Amino acid sequence: MARKKRMGREEGHAYWMMVLPAVIVYLLVIGFPIVLSVVLSLSDYNGGKMFGGEAWNLTGFGKYANLVADPLFWNALKNNLYIVLISVFGQLPLGFIFAYIIYRKTVKWPNFWQGILYVPNIISVIVVGILWSTIFSPNGPLGEAINSLRIAAYHAKIATLFSGSATFAVSDDLVKRILDFVGPKAAGIFGNPAADLKDFLSGYGPSQLQQVITDLTNMFVQKWSPTFLGKPDIAMLPILFVILWLYTGLYMIIFLANMQKIDVQVIESARIDGANEGQVGRYIVLPAITGTLVNSAILCIAGSLSSFSLIWAMTGGGPDHVTEILTIYMFNRAFLGRPDFPLANAIALVIVVVSFILIGITKAVEKKFGGKE
Amino acid sequence: MSDAIKTTALGRFGGALAKVLSYFVMILFSVMTIYPIFWLIMNSFKPTREFQVSQLGFPLAPTIKNYLGPYGAWKLGDFSELIPNSLIYTLGATAGIIILSVLAGFAFAKIPRKATAPIYASFVIGLLLSVQSLLIPLFLEVNILGIYNTRFAVLLVYIGAGLPLGIYLATEYIKGIPTSLVESARIDGAPYLRIFRSIILPMTLPVATTLAILNITGIWNEFALINILVSKTNLKSLPLGMYRFSGSLSSDWGKQFAALTIGTLPMLLFYFVFRRQITQGVSAGAVKG
Repeated sequence: MARKKRMGREEGHAYWMMVLPAVIVYLLVIGFPIVLSVVLSLSDYNGGKMFGGEAWNLTGFGKYANLVADPLFWNALKNNLYIVLISVFGQLPLGFIFAYIIYRKTVKWPNFWQGILYVPNIISVIVVGILWSTIFSPNGPLGEAINSLRIAAYHAKIATLFSGSATFAVSDDLVKRILDFVGPKAAGIFGNPAADLKDFLSGYGPSQLQQVITDLTNMFVQKWSPTFLGKPDIAMLPILFVILWLYTGLYMIIFLANMQKIDVQVIESARIDGANEGQVGRYIVLPAITGTLVNSAILCIAGSLSSFSLIWAMTGGGPDHVTEILTIYMFNRAFLGRPDFPLANAIALVIVVVSFILIGITKAVEKKFGGKE
Repeated sequence: MSDAIKTTALGRFGGALAKVLSYFVMILFSVMTIYPIFWLIMNSFKPTREFQVSQLGFPLAPTIKNYLGPYGAWKLGDFSELIPNSLIYTLGATAGIIILSVLAGFAFAKIPRKATAPIYASFVIGLLLSVQSLLIPLFLEVNILGIYNTRFAVLLVYIGAGLPLGIYLATEYIKGIPTSLVESARIDGAPYLRIFRSIILPMTLPVATTLAILNITGIWNEFALINILVSKTNLKSLPLGMYRFSGSLSSDWGKQFAALTIGTLPMLLFYFVFRRQITQGVSAGAVKG
């Protein structure tokens, strides 16, 4: 009996020895900050020493009222919801399609495609953000690629105006054809288009045909410069594209791993009974991974609401706050200009609450539309 | 082969079309994935002046000037300090997460106590929370505790952030180990700590590997949290160092690309070597909810 008692004491002792380190760290990193944000969001604390410094008081729900009155808050919340939508209705279906293509062996080399499509996930989002903001920048490679296509097309069209001979002679007819082709742009370059252009062309020798065509192209071609990230009404689009680009491979990997758990014989016999590929996907594979889909949707939502770094590196929330999401809005309230720590803490709690609400909705949808595994 | 699956001409056409479409989509996405990264690395070997004129062409005379020399990205970005820091944070926090998770996981799974249900549930709820939403309260807490700008704070936060998934995976895994192993050792009078060390620990290698894979990539690339925990250069990690190149140094494209390449290559290499394990770990770690 004494031995049993000793072992019982040892059991409790060992239990807490093993559990407490994790509990303490967890309380410090998750528990205490949540309590802190509840208290501070109801206070007028504004920087400085929290204990023993300037006194601060609990002042009530005023900060939450400020928050819902701030259009920037609603803008950030809206952007977060866009990200949730592109994640749930973009990444998940695309990831499913890719996984299905590989799973059904429609394409060869399954490991190759998997290996490549997952690459964005192992690169720092800081690199991803800087890289894509460079690509989408006004003088970036995307503009260069589009413009070189435009220039080539324009060059070819100008060349046809010279009726195919190897040399050229300046004539009123030629000047008129060129002016008709380039349209009103000529008036922006020359004061008196007809006369000035004739003068300009006279400067070339008869053998300099190619040079003339190239110079005319450069003079008149409409250059395009991507301004996505600078235009308030569309600045979110490139960001949503990059988010889709970034995480689709992750969900493909997750779905594929779960598809591979399906009994192959079920699919084989369905095929023999005459089911086509679409029916196999719809009635066998999709139901089999519904649970995984729901879990992935939850993962997506939690991740979308707390994302920070990608947009921070791509736009920093600009131009003029339009691409701010809740975390960046919170960061700016706390660190930009005059700090408003109570408001920032109120935002932290809102993020937590919103993510639980969305996850609750996901679970409810799963229940309603039967997520039987 | 039965008659039923003899494909009709229409069916064969549909199959071929599906194949062509599938290859098209796969190739399109692969090019969209690989080309930007290739483009980044390629341009890191171009002088900035050449980049401004031609962004898409190959470097005319590839140079490593963007990387080396007194004004190269390596020196300018303090990479000789960033890389050891990133290693310390990544390996230290990963080890911490694994040890704490496996210890607590064993207690939750094999020592029957009333306290387990509420404590374990609180960790599982943490799966749905993301520490990044707590940036500001964390920043204030770290200041209250007087550990702002310390490696300790970074490790503490990373370990705490990794615990929910770590404990969940470890507990579920250890639940699968036969309880009779633990019970017979108990009858022999072995204390729990010894059972843990000699029986459980060696058996948890698979789940420890999964946790290592998931956390190594995650922590190596983490930015938002460490951004509010340290401000001193000698404590910064690679992502913080690379971010500097998007601000004041961003007009010097060549060096920016060199810096981003330096920061990306270690992980690419890690991925190249452990691709299979990473893929498996990711799908094992996705059982949230």
